Amino acid sequence: MRGSRHVRGAAGALAMALAATGCGVIVGTSGGANGGAVLSSSWGDPQNPLEPANTNEVQGGKVLDMIFRGLKKYDPRTGRAQNWLARSIETEDSRNYTVRIKRGWTFSNGEKVTARSFVNAWNYGASLRNNQKNAYFFGYIDGYDRVHPDSGRQSAPALSGLKVVDDHTFTVRLNQKFSGFPDTLGYAAFAPLPRVFFTDHAAWVKKPVGNGPYTVESYTRGSQMYLRKWDGYPGTDKARNDGVTLMVYTDSNTAYTDLLAGNLDLVDDIPAAQLKNVEGDLGDRYINTPAGIIQTLAFPYYDKAWNRPGSAKVRTGLSMAINRRQITEMIFRGTRTPATDWTSPVLGVDGGFKAGLCGRACDYDPARAKQLIKEGGGIPGGQVKITYNADSGSHRQWVDAVCNSVNNALGNDRACVGNPVGTFADFRKQIGQHTMTGPFRAGWQMDYPLIQNFLQPLYYTGASSNDGKWSDREFDRLVDRANARTDTAEAVAGFQEAEKVVRDQMAAVPLWYQNGNAGYSDRLSHVALNPFSVPVYNEIKVG
Amino acid sequence: MRDQPQQPEGAIAGTGMGGAMDLGASEAVTLERTPGGPAGTGPAGRPRSLWSDAWRDLRRNPVFLLSALVILFLVFISLWPSAIASGSPLTCDLAKAQDGAAPGAPFGYDGQGCNVYTRTVYGARASVTVGLCATLGVALLGSVLGGLAGYFGGVWDSVLSRVTDIFFAIPVVLGGLVLLSVVTSNTVWPVVGFMVLLGWPQISRIARGAVITAKQNDYVQAARALGASDSRILLRHIAPNAVAPVIVVATIALGTYIALEATLSYLGVGLKPPSVSWGIDISAASPYIRNAPHALLWPAGALALTVLAFIMLGDAVRDALDPKLR
Repeated sequence: MRGSRHVRGAAGALAMALAATGCGVIVGTSGGANGGAVLSSSWGDPQNPLEPANTNEVQGGKVLDMIFRGLKKYDPRTGRAQNWLARSIETEDSRNYTVRIKRGWTFSNGEKVTARSFVNAWNYGASLRNNQKNAYFFGYIDGYDRVHPDSGRQSAPALSGLKVVDDHTFTVRLNQKFSGFPDTLGYAAFAPLPRVFFTDHAAWVKKPVGNGPYTVESYTRGSQMYLRKWDGYPGTDKARNDGVTLMVYTDSNTAYTDLLAGNLDLVDDIPAAQLKNVEGDLGDRYINTPAGIIQTLAFPYYDKAWNRPGSAKVRTGLSMAINRRQITEMIFRGTRTPATDWTSPVLGVDGGFKAGLCGRACDYDPARAKQLIKEGGGIPGGQVKITYNADSGSHRQWVDAVCNSVNNALGNDRACVGNPVGTFADFRKQIGQHTMTGPFRAGWQMDYPLIQNFLQPLYYTGASSNDGKWSDREFDRLVDRANARTDTAEAVAGFQEAEKVVRDQMAAVPLWYQNGNAGYSDRLSHVALNPFSVPVYNEIKVG
Repeated sequence: MRDQPQQPEGAIAGTGMGGAMDLGASEAVTLERTPGGPAGTGPAGRPRSLWSDAWRDLRRNPVFLLSALVILFLVFISLWPSAIASGSPLTCDLAKAQDGAAPGAPFGYDGQGCNVYTRTVYGARASVTVGLCATLGVALLGSVLGGLAGYFGGVWDSVLSRVTDIFFAIPVVLGGLVLLSVVTSNTVWPVVGFMVLLGWPQISRIARGAVITAKQNDYVQAARALGASDSRILLRHIAPNAVAPVIVVATIALGTYIALEATLSYLGVGLKPPSVSWGIDISAASPYIRNAPHALLWPAGALALTVLAFIMLGDAVRDALDPKLR
């Protein structure tokens, strides 16, 4: 009985495996058969429906990047914000802005893109009633506190700071000076929305209508999304292929194997374990370019054990116990660069990146690390537990390596352990509920290439992505002051002053700057990743 | 039922023979003539019991000797891993990551630069502990519940049978993912507890069947007629004769529990680092299989050998205890 049951189980598993692989093959060929120059690319299901103001993760953002164009667009090579739908965005005081929109732009359903398309979309995104994840992006606009109060009910239907002047002009009044505001407008949350989004929301969510070079043709959750080139696209960045099939993978190893087997054209997350082979496997079809991503370890400041007088010393000691150079070389094979500040090299020196700002606190110095942790009162609870999500990004490998590095530095085999959480969603949920008892993985991919975006959302008191609830008056004051500067260089310098507070308190331990990695099949050419590590799909040529 | 002794069919263990073992019992006299006993008693001297027969068989069985040797060795390194492996399994040097065999590290290094040999040796403890504890727990709980249900029958028997049906319906891996993912303890006990929770119905069914078979024997009727209490009948007459199939199944299951521990640890819900377990190591090494297959193959080989040893042992024991196979 036992024997036969086991055999049957094995046969069932085998049949399932066969079905799964067979399915993969069929989907792969159908992706290519969709009509000539269609490429297939690895992807993951978006967390939320594809409303622009409700998408704050990379996979959904990938699609928004293909089906929407905003006032600004970030240059796929330099990351610099350039006017796209905007003809001009003018201000005299860094607080009142006048936005003029180019004529001739339409949505893929033929509707004209007007000032109203933007104002309605922004009001929708900011409104508490719509509960959009990116609502805080509208937090600078006057009237946000009434449309989206921290507590209680919404007391105004729309942002008082937005005024439509005519079909192609609207004004924005901010509640504080923010000289970098125009540069944030390339972020997907600021995309325009057609009328059908408001009149027939369910239909729109099922098949989003935008104004980008692609249109959504079909989507099956857990399987694939097919995006077709929009022939009537009025922009200059027309798609140079006929379409893209985004294929859902839950394991980057599988996607990589499919790429090698010829079932997939493009993989934009190369698993760390394959980095040793990737150049041999793909040769020059492997891309490794800098991206605006930094990985850090954040701390739970709501936990008293991590928020004591000596805690800054303990955190600095942990930072100095991590051998970043060795980990980036041995685990990531040079696809990460040891971090020496809290921003990213893609900002450029003018944009606020400052190599070495972290100073000795980011140098590997086991002796000093041990001493600092001792002076700071030791590790809370005697053991550091680094929490991370185990389902993506090869996080397990580096967390284990960081822990081994800490253990070796402190001469204690059990000073540090990894604490995996099964899925990213669950991990985010636990962080949101503030149940962390030790450091946790905090990766930050910039929303727009400004130093402000690397500091304010993460460390400002009460900020949207300040997951550890860090709070420092001096930091807040310096950020406010920097935001009020009208001169870009002065603003950048102001933010760097604030960044030094982050360093002195070691609010988060910077680990490394992450590159974008991708590999592609020999069917493709002109493949590149933008500074957000997203493939520039519209430029890819097939065949 | 109790009044109509009948020759049982399909029992794993010997039927009449087993009765001969409790020589101290007064009813033993009635057992000198056992209807189904295949290997008769010798004309002179004491009658041989099932157990001494089994032991004589086992001693001559090379499969048993080999697996017992492997198991003894495993138990030895579980107790004293430092006897054959130097250093700590938790000390890793990233600079040596994925390196091959080197002096002091005959199995090479894994993706984190940990010594695969040391980790494989230390990993035995988790497997052996989980396997033995889970088997012990399952055997005790299962045979007590199943034995009582089989002996007393009636409504409790029906209830227990349905409960075992329910537990049988729970998929083991799915149940493990659900139940163990909420546990934060870093010891072997949640895993052992889970295995006992899901493993007892199997033993319970075997024990129930064996007890029902045993209680229909003449000597049980005789004991009852002589006024023996339920507990005396159960412990002195039924238990010794019903325990053989339980031992056989439990020994074979031991191997599968070890494999299950590795499976759960592989999935991240069993033992968790810094515990050292083969399942954890196999899981950690699997992405590196192209570049450092040794980091995967050694713990996997150790696991396979261990499971095989316990299952072969169980097989040998079954052969020895099942007179029908003689």
